[in-house]
Amino acid sequence: MIRPADCLVLGAGPAGTEAALAAAEAGLDVVLIDEQADAGGQGWRAPLSGLTMPRKGADAEAGDGLRARLAASGVDRRLGRRVWSVGGAFRLDAVGPDGAEAYEAPRLVAATGAHERVVPFPGWTLPGVIGLAGATVLLKAQAVLPGRRVVVAGAGPLLFAVAAGIIAKGGEVAAIVDMDGRLAWARRLPGLARRLDLLKEGLGWTWSILGARVPFLAGHGVRCAAGRSEVEAVIVGPVDADGAPIAGPERRFACDALAVGHGLVPGGEVPKILRAAHLYDRLRGGFIPELDPYGRTTIENLYACGDGTGIRGARPSAVAGRLAGLAAAHDAGRLDATAFTALAEPTLQALADYRPFADTVAGAMALKPAQVAAITPATVVCRCEDVSRAEIDAAVDAGAGDINQMKHFTRCGMGPCQGRMCGDVAAELVAQRRGVTRETVGYWTQRVPLRPVPFDTMIGSFDYADIPIPPPAPL
Amino acid sequence: MSQAPIYDLGVIGGGVVGSTLALLAQRGGLSTALLDRGPLCREASGVNAGTLTLQMTRVALIPHAMRAHAMWASARDWLGHDVGVVVCDGLSLAFTEREAALLEERAGKRRAAGAPITIISRDEALRVEPGISDRTLMAGHCVVDGYANAYLTGQAFRAALVDAGVAVMENRGVSGLDRTDNGFVARTAQGPVSFRRVVLAGGVWIEPMMAWLGVHLPIKVLVNQLSVTERIRPVMRTVVGIASGLLSLKQYPHGTVVIGGGWQGIGDRERGGVELVPERLVGNIRLACHAIPELAGARLARAWAGLEAETADALPAAGPIPGIPDAYVCGSIHSGYTSGPSIARSLADVILGREPDLPLFPIDRLMKAAPP
Amino acid sequence: MSLVRVSNGVTRPAAATFAVDGMEVSAPAGEPLATALAAAGLLGLRDSPRGGTPRGAFCHMGLCQECVVTVDGRIVQACLTPVRAGMQVGLGGTLR
Ligand SMILES: Cc1cc2nc3c(=O)[nH]c(=O)nc-3n(C[C@H](O)[C@H](O)[C@H](O)COP(=O)(O)OP(=O)(O)OC[C@H]3O[C@@H](n4cnc5c(N)ncnc54)[C@H](O)[C@@H]3O)c2cc1C
Ligand SMILES: Cc1cc2nc3c(=O)[nH]c(=O)nc-3n(C[C@H](O)[C@H](O)[C@H](O)COP(=O)(O)OP(=O)(O)OC[C@H]3O[C@@H](n4cnc5c(N)ncnc54)[C@H](O)[C@@H]3O)c2cc1C
Ligand code: FES
Repeated sequence: MIRPADCLVLGAGPAGTEAALAAAEAGLDVVLIDEQADAGGQGWRAPLSGLTMPRKGADAEAGDGLRARLAASGVDRRLGRRVWSVGGAFRLDAVGPDGAEAYEAPRLVAATGAHERVVPFPGWTLPGVIGLAGATVLLKAQAVLPGRRVVVAGAGPLLFAVAAGIIAKGGEVAAIVDMDGRLAWARRLPGLARRLDLLKEGLGWTWSILGARVPFLAGHGVRCAAGRSEVEAVIVGPVDADGAPIAGPERRFACDALAVGHGLVPGGEVPKILRAAHLYDRLRGGFIPELDPYGRTTIENLYACGDGTGIRGARPSAVAGRLAGLAAAHDAGRLDATAFTALAEPTLQALADYRPFADTVAGAMALKPAQVAAITPATVVCRCEDVSRAEIDAAVDAGAGDINQMKHFTRCGMGPCQGRMCGDVAAELVAQRRGVTRETVGYWTQRVPLRPVPFDTMIGSFDYADIPIPPPAPL
Repeated sequence: MSQAPIYDLGVIGGGVVGSTLALLAQRGGLSTALLDRGPLCREASGVNAGTLTLQMTRVALIPHAMRAHAMWASARDWLGHDVGVVVCDGLSLAFTEREAALLEERAGKRRAAGAPITIISRDEALRVEPGISDRTLMAGHCVVDGYANAYLTGQAFRAALVDAGVAVMENRGVSGLDRTDNGFVARTAQGPVSFRRVVLAGGVWIEPMMAWLGVHLPIKVLVNQLSVTERIRPVMRTVVGIASGLLSLKQYPHGTVVIGGGWQGIGDRERGGVELVPERLVGNIRLACHAIPELAGARLARAWAGLEAETADALPAAGPIPGIPDAYVCGSIHSGYTSGPSIARSLADVILGREPDLPLFPIDRLMKAAPP
Repeated sequence: MSLVRVSNGVTRPAAATFAVDGMEVSAPAGEPLATALAAAGLLGLRDSPRGGTPRGAFCHMGLCQECVVTVDGRIVQACLTPVRAGMQVGLGGTLR
């Protein structure tokens, strides 16, 4: 059974939800699909059901507002569904609590979000080492601390959000290890000051960190995580302004958890599968779809918005989502040019207002090529397949010229995470080894399934006689 | 400035067919250039299911498939590099009376052509492969079966070709072929490449390549879907298919299971295998899970589609190009990953002036007048 | 050593008991299994198939696949699977 609609929205984060709301308000029959049990995505994730926390953060409130508007809207919410296939113009196939499902509509908004980049170091595969973004999920949605004594390391604002979150919840932060020097943040202040409301949040984090007297190591990076079966200590050392390790005293912090992250990478699976045009933008996190100001991709009636189209943060993602929803409604003939302009103009302006702030934050989260260059040969880059940097280099030397050929030579990126965890770094390694641009090296060819799916749910129950086996090949 | 070389042989298309040809020609003493518009073996030859089976091979190709099977099994010796070949038993299952009849007919014809296929009972089949469904009625059993790891093909051939001294020109798409007094000049964006003789080994792109020479050879494009699980515990140890041939299934030593058989996706020569048809993916996987029930506990990690060439009579296009001296075509081989190296070897023999042990498939039978 | 549930002012659903390779573990019903296991001191969930090194939940958002376990015999991602009373959890990943 296929559920037909006017517009499908994949991803119920801030971007997708706003897109769905805008399109539905304009009169489209909209289906909004997400794997999670509730709307909100990564940034505005709903707390676990039945869990109450004493104080609500700004993200939780924003998320609650979004969820309330969604509940009051005419959007058909299909939550708890994992979409595994996208094709045609347009059809989504999903598996959910009731088994396999399919949806079809002439318009599709892709809002699948971003995932974390962790630039590998020895020991990063040890249990107890988790992503910074993952740590925000534990803290905000589950009221759980990543460990008893946590080292928080990496780059970008999530570093401070996680450290402050741990402190606020009564946990112990062993050290904060920021790749950026103090100078880098001083230089960012003007950009951040363009959004005083958001800057205030950052200053709040800084306050609580200062108050807790946590060792703060600016201009430092993780050298390695040590431990036998779990992380037991983290060794850190100084890095230069580009993120490359430099000589200087190293320090060892005993801990039982390391939360580490070096920015976010746009997922963007859907426009890649459907073969929309992409471009490489290091600031925005990697390869992103080419979009018009409203979120139209180069494929007719395919829209994309949110962090999957370049890292901006939750609030700008929500605004971009609204624009995409308006554009879909306009293109469907439900909003005439006047109404569309009236609604889109202020939204465009709102997005522009976020830009200096968003660019500054994105800059702090962008890939640092010198950090990648410094990955040691024996370090595992592809976690799923245990492929080391040395093996990637050897593949390039053996003639692998692009990321997909390197994958064939090494199995790097062939595991169940589908190359998400290693892709950005692996491509950077290939580009650096060859001395060519990221554009030359390209990105993984994206294929279904969007995420791994269990066969039993996919195939349901069936009779052998009903399998439409095509006629045999000639003898 | 040094004079651009004129190679004895130019091979256009670096799949398994073109790569084998170039390697054997160079080793036979011809200076050879191999041109591909992408990296080597990244079309059909790098994305196929890697099954080296006689039970899906066309009867006329059985002798080639048997010789090629031996070539694959000894790849380390003649190629010098590993393509992850595993030799094991193969089973072709029948679940219905109709399939049983089909199986007996097809296995009989293949056996007559030299394939060591026997029909075995359900219980015997379960002893060969404990993973199969007990709903199996009977099976074709062949001890000459196995599989390679197709994604390693390019790496292995590239190293062998470079070692042998072939001028490997990757990412060098040919846009046209001009005849000159002493051979051919291939036009490429990076400049012309000259050679005395030429082999067109372009897989599904043989049709546009032949058009460069004014020859019309229709080649149908099949868009084969494939899927692979993540690594799982061992659920099978043989190559498993079904009587109709629309399933090929095996588990690699590292634990992934590759599911194929030729279910069709969406794509064409211009865009490649662009899209998978979910119903057909589900159908293919249902069939696989019916054959190996334990497989239903696995997760789909990836699916893709690649292009396979087929002539009007589904037999290869392999031999001289009529009316054009020193020009040859080689490809469109059904189950061509299996048989490709053997057919390429026969053509290399012909080009090197030797009598081939196994016959070619001249294309005179397929040619139509060039459209005006 | 383990994840730590914040107690200060937080209320959680009643605990549910389930089995991990035969061992009894309790956690608030509905909590992601990856969290529940780590809170019980079970950080290492499997060994990587090629290198054989210990692995545990890494991304906590359903992408890295490091947290795969079996629940009642089926392969699932522990970070996306809510705790349910009586569930039978098996560690060791997909090769088990
Ligand atoms: C783990 C994590 C934590 C973060 N925490 C913060 C934070 O605290 N504050 C902040 O400002 N920013 C945070 N970010 C940045 C965050 O990505 C964005 O700012 C914001 O959430 C982007 O909104 P979005 O709608 O583009 O994507 P998301 O919020 O990521 O939403 C995408 C949604 O798509 C769904 N989805 C994707 N693929 C499929 C599929 N195949 N089938 C079904 N559903 C699918 C996902 O389940 C998800 O709900 C975080 C990012 C990550 C990855
Ligand atoms: C999904 C799939 C599964 C399969 N499974 C099996 C199996 O299990 N067992 C089996 O035996 N067979 C299988 N096959 C068939 C087998 O893969 C093919 O028959 C075989 O690989 C064809 O090899 P080839 O060298 O003729 O063509 P290809 O490998 O397609 O090579 C042709 C080459 O020509 C190049 N080219 C094209 N145009 C130009 C140009 N203008 N200039 C320069 N170069 C150009 C291409 O880039 C390409 O590399 C399968 C095929 C597919 C698609
Ligand atoms: S922790 Fe990454 S998928 Fe579960």
